[in-house]
Amino acid sequence: MFGKLSWDAIPFHDPIPLFTSLVVILALAALAIWVWRKGWWPYLWHQYITSTDHKKIGIMYIVLGLLMLVRGFSDAIMMRLQQSMAIGASQGYLPPEHYNQIFSAHGTIMIFFVAMPLVIGFMNFVVPLQLGVRDVAFPTMNNVSFWLTASGALLINVSLFVGEFARTGWLAYPPLSELRFSPGVGVDYYLVALQISGVGTILTAVNFVTTILKIRAPGMSYMRMPVFCWTSLASNLLILAAFPVLTVTLGLLMLDRYLGFHFFTNDGGGNSMLYMNLIWVWGHPEVYILILPAFGIYSEVAATFSGKPLFGYRSMVFATLAICIISFCVWLHHFFTMGAGADVNAVFGIASMIIAIPTGVKIFNWLFTMYGGRVRFSVPMHYLIGFMLTFVIGGLTGVLLAIPPVDFVVHNTLFLIAHFHQVIIGGVVFAIMAGYTYWFPKAFGFTLDERLGKAVFWCWFIGFHLAFMPLYVLGFWGGTRRLQHISDPSWAPWLHVALLGAVIIGVGIVLTVVQLLYSIRTRDQRRDVTGDPWDGRTLEWLTLSPPPHYNFAVLPDVHGEEAYWTRKQTAIKQVALIEEPDYQPIEMPVDTPTGVICAFFTSLCGFAVIWHIWWLAILGLIGAFAVLVWYAWRDEHEHLIPVGEVRKNARERRRIRMEHLHELSQST
Amino acid sequence: MTEPEAEQMSVAPGEPHDSLLSESLSYVIGLGLALLLTAVSFWVASTSVLWGPGVATGLVVLAIAQMGVHLVFFLHITSGPDNTNNILALAFGVLIVFLVMIGTIWIMSHMNANMGPTPEMMNLHTQRG
Repeated sequence: MFGKLSWDAIPFHDPIPLFTSLVVILALAALAIWVWRKGWWPYLWHQYITSTDHKKIGIMYIVLGLLMLVRGFSDAIMMRLQQSMAIGASQGYLPPEHYNQIFSAHGTIMIFFVAMPLVIGFMNFVVPLQLGVRDVAFPTMNNVSFWLTASGALLINVSLFVGEFARTGWLAYPPLSELRFSPGVGVDYYLVALQISGVGTILTAVNFVTTILKIRAPGMSYMRMPVFCWTSLASNLLILAAFPVLTVTLGLLMLDRYLGFHFFTNDGGGNSMLYMNLIWVWGHPEVYILILPAFGIYSEVAATFSGKPLFGYRSMVFATLAICIISFCVWLHHFFTMGAGADVNAVFGIASMIIAIPTGVKIFNWLFTMYGGRVRFSVPMHYLIGFMLTFVIGGLTGVLLAIPPVDFVVHNTLFLIAHFHQVIIGGVVFAIMAGYTYWFPKAFGFTLDERLGKAVFWCWFIGFHLAFMPLYVLGFWGGTRRLQHISDPSWAPWLHVALLGAVIIGVGIVLTVVQLLYSIRTRDQRRDVTGDPWDGRTLEWLTLSPPPHYNFAVLPDVHGEEAYWTRKQTAIKQVALIEEPDYQPIEMPVDTPTGVICAFFTSLCGFAVIWHIWWLAILGLIGAFAVLVWYAWRDEHEHLIPVGEVRKNARERRRIRMEHLHELSQST
Repeated sequence: MTEPEAEQMSVAPGEPHDSLLSESLSYVIGLGLALLLTAVSFWVASTSVLWGPGVATGLVVLAIAQMGVHLVFFLHITSGPDNTNNILALAFGVLIVFLVMIGTIWIMSHMNANMGPTPEMMNLHTQRG
C-alpha cells in the first residue's frame, strides 16, 4: 500500500534533522495561521499564487530563492562548523552519513533552488518591462513553471523529515549513486526533485526565448534591447540546449535504479564515465546560464549609476553570444583527470582559456563605463565594484585550473571549491543582491535602506574572502573537498578563519532581513513617487512603481538605444511630456490556479515515485495531466481593463511626471 | 467557426497557405516522402545494393534526409524572410547537437582506449605478488 514508506523513515533517533523539521513545520503552520487571522489568504491567492502577471511570478521566484538560500546557508554553516571542530582527535558533531547528506543538499539547493529561481525571478520581473510590453508570451505557462520549480524545492526539503537525502555529492556520480551502493531513497529524492523542477526550467526558457524574439515594443529592434534582455536571451537559449541533456542523463540513471538498466553500472556493459561526460555537457553551460543574466544586471547598474550609456554595447552583445556558443566546448575541463589523454585535454583546456576572453571584454566595458562618468556609490555600485575585484581573481584561478597539468594537482581539492564559490558568490550572488536593491523600489514602490544595504554588502564581501581564501591555501596543501574529518592539526587556524567568514556572511543574511523589515516600517519616508528613483535609462523606469498589471497604458515608441533616457532628456529640455495618446481598453490574461494544482499533483506523484507507491504515482500523473486539459478547455481567456481605469492611471502618472519636470526646471 | 477563421487556424507559423486543400496536400507529400525514405532504409539494409561497410553511411544519409523532410513539411521551416528566427534556432540547435555528439564520441573513444584494464591489472599473478 505505502511502498517503501514506513515509520522508520522519520528520523526519530537523529536529533538534528528531527528538531529542524519540527521547527520548520511549526513555523510554517504559525505563518499560515497568522496570514489566515489577518485575512490575507484571498489576497495572496488572487494576487500571487494564481497570478499570471510576470511581475508577481518574478517576486514569487525571488522569495522562493531567498528562502532556499537560508536553507542552503544553514547547510554551509553546519559544514564549516564540522570541519573546524573535527580536527585531530575530535570527531565533531556530525556523523559521516549525515555530513554527506549535508554537502549534497547544500550544492543541489544552492544551484537549483537558490541561484536558478533568483536569476529566473529577475528575468521574469525585468525583461517584459525593459522590452516595453505587457507580459511574457505564455503567461499561464509561466505560472506553471514557477510552481513546478517550487514542487521540486518542496520534495528536496521533505527529504529532511521523511527518509534521507543523497550522500553522493550534488551531481550524484555513479556508480556510487547506483542502487548497489545507494540503496536508500536519498538519490531518488535528488533525481525526482530535479526532474520536476527541470521541466519548469525548460518551460521558462521556451517562454522567454519566444518573448524576447517575438514580443517587443514598437521600434525595439535587437540592437536596441537593453543588455539584460540580451543576456537573458542567451541564458534561455542555453537552458533550452542544455537542460534536456540533464533530463536525459538523470532519466537514464533513474532507469538504472528503477528498472534495472545498466547504463552507468559497473556490470552489464555500463559505463559510469558516460554519466560524468553527459552531466557536464549540461553542467558547464549551467554556470553560464547563471552568470550571463548576472552580467546583464551589472551592465544595467554600471550604466545607471555612472550616468553614462554602457561602454561598448555591441561588444557586450557579441561577447554574450560568443560565451553562449563556447560554453558548449569546454565541459571536459571538469574531468581532466578521468583519462581522456593529452590531446583531448589540451583541446578542452585551450577552449576553457578562450572563454575567459569575452568575459574579460565585459570587465573592461564596465570599467570604461565608469571611467569619466558621475559614479554614485550607492549599494548596487558597491556590488558592481566588489564583483569586479572578486570575480577577476576567481577567473584567474579558473584559467589556472584550465591548464590540465595544474588541474591534476588540485583536482577535487579545496582549491576548486574556493574557485567556484568565488565566481558564483562574487558573480551571481553579488549580482542578485545588486538587482534586489536596484529593482526593489520598482516592485514595491519604496527604496531599501541604504545604510543597512551597505552593511550587508560589507558582510558579504569581507565574509566571502575570509571564508574562501583559506581554502585556496588548504587546496594547495592537498586538502580534499568533502572531508568529514581533518587529520592534520596544522590546518586548524585556516579552517577557523573560514568559519569566521561564514559567520560574517550569516550576519549579512540576518541584516538583509533586518533591512527589509526596517524599510517596510519606514516606507512612508522612502516612497518612490516618480517611478524613477535611480535616474534610470531603460523602459522599466518609465512606468510608475509598482507598475500597474498591464505595465504600460500605451506601448512605448522606441527611437534608439536607451529608449527611456532619450525620452526623459527630451521631456526635461522641453519641460513637456509627449502628447497624450489615445487610450484603449487593455486585454490581460486571467488568473488561474492551473499551476498550483498541477504542482500539487506532481509533488504527490514525485513523492510516490520516490517511495515506490505506484497507485499514488499514477493518480498524481493523471491529476497533473487532467488539470492541464481542464485549463485547455476554459471559456474565459482574457479580462478587459476598462479604458476609464487605464486613462485614470495614465493621467495620474502624467501629473506626477509633470510636477517632477517643473521641479527640475525650477532647480536649474 | 466561419470560413476565414478556419483558414487562419490551419496556417502554420512562417508558411501561409491559401486554402485548406493546399495545406493538406503539403502534409500528404511530406508523409509520402517520409514513408518512402523509411522504406528505402529497410530495403538498403536488407539487400546488397550498397557495399557492405557502406550501409551504415547510407543509413545516416537517409536519416538526415528524413529529418529534412520532417523539418520542411511538418515543422514548416522555410527560407522566407519572416522565418529567420526558425532558421537561426535550427542552426543553433544543429550546432549544439553537433558539438555535443562529436565531443562525446571523441571523449568516450579516448576513455575507452586509455582507461580499459591494463595487462598488469588483469594479471592475477602480479596482483598476488
